Amino acid sequence: MAEEENGVTAGGEFYLRYYVGHKGKFGHEFLEFEFRPDGKLRYANNSNYKNDTMIRKEVFLTPSVLKECRRIVSDSEIMKEDDNNWPEPDRVGRQELEIVMGNEHISFTTSKIGSLMDVQTSNDPEGLRIFYYLVQDLKCFVFSLISLHFKIKPI
Amino acid sequence: MANAADVDALDFEPDDDDLMDEDAAVDVDASSPRTSTPIPKLKSAITGGAVTVASSIPKKTKGRGFREETDAERNNRMSGRFDSLDSDGGPGPERSIEGWIILVTGVHEEAQEDDLQNAFGEYGEIKNLHLNLDRRTGFVKGYALIEYENFEEAEKAIAAMDGGELLTQTVNVDWAFSKGPFRRRNNRRRSPRGHRSRSPRRRF
Repeated sequence: MAEEENGVTAGGEFYLRYYVGHKGKFGHEFLEFEFRPDGKLRYANNSNYKNDTMIRKEVFLTPSVLKECRRIVSDSEIMKEDDNNWPEPDRVGRQELEIVMGNEHISFTTSKIGSLMDVQTSNDPEGLRIFYYLVQDLKCFVFSLISLHFKIKPI
Repeated sequence: MANAADVDALDFEPDDDDLMDEDAAVDVDASSPRTSTPIPKLKSAITGGAVTVASSIPKKTKGRGFREETDAERNNRMSGRFDSLDSDGGPGPERSIEGWIILVTGVHEEAQEDDLQNAFGEYGEIKNLHLNLDRRTGFVKGYALIEYENFEEAEKAIAAMDGGELLTQTVNVDWAFSKGPFRRRNNRRRSPRGHRSRSPRRRF
């Protein structure tokens, strides 16, 4: 286990934010969530398609949930990666992943990733794959938390 | 502030506020939209600013996100009103809209929903069960979220199963949601050690 690494179990600083979005025909459509150091989870989803309602939800998590989030991040080893050779954000969209963990602070940006094919053909398939799967695992975690708590279907 | 050394005394909130203040400061700084050149001062503003002061350890930073002026826009996005369920903000677990949610961690990667049903159904009818999978491997990611209708059911499940064993692995069980930000007091019982302690102290 890579638990001790980055102080997953120690109460070091932790912050995580993920954004994916684009600006197009329906305005600025995006999904964003963040885990704040005091335990607050914020979730925003703006789609202007058909109805232009912005969903914004927030709830406080217990330390146990935050710790599990850290574990997921830590196990992914994303902090070792670098976005230097990832596709730049473009008109199709952008993704941002910002994480503060221990004494490391990453803020990665890249384009939207349609499928693993985009990952394979990129200049840093190994790193981008880690990003690709981590983002999916995080989304999955957040969607479960939000949908169970508020009984809404995210996305 | 010595971060790791004095875990109990450290409250996260100051850091939290600093993060926001920092954003706000950047917002003012960079309010003219999108000058095209990367601005180093933004980078240092984030890394060398309040966040670092708060923890007194310089952060190693990495990524293109530090070289772009997205902060003003981000502030905009996240500054509106966020809905939350009514809560008195006090300590203790928070009720979700239809029940009480607990988090199980340390779940075996080959666990099936039935395994959790069997183990946790004993304390009350499980209204909802999320056993999410690792997107890369297809195995269980390692956690489960379980909903009970009543507080007492969830409480019993936590008391009985936290530190217990499920499919040869030790699982930890706790509430998922809290009424307010966490205080260190709240965090003490699960922080400093790497190993999981099997402790009878889960009482709210």
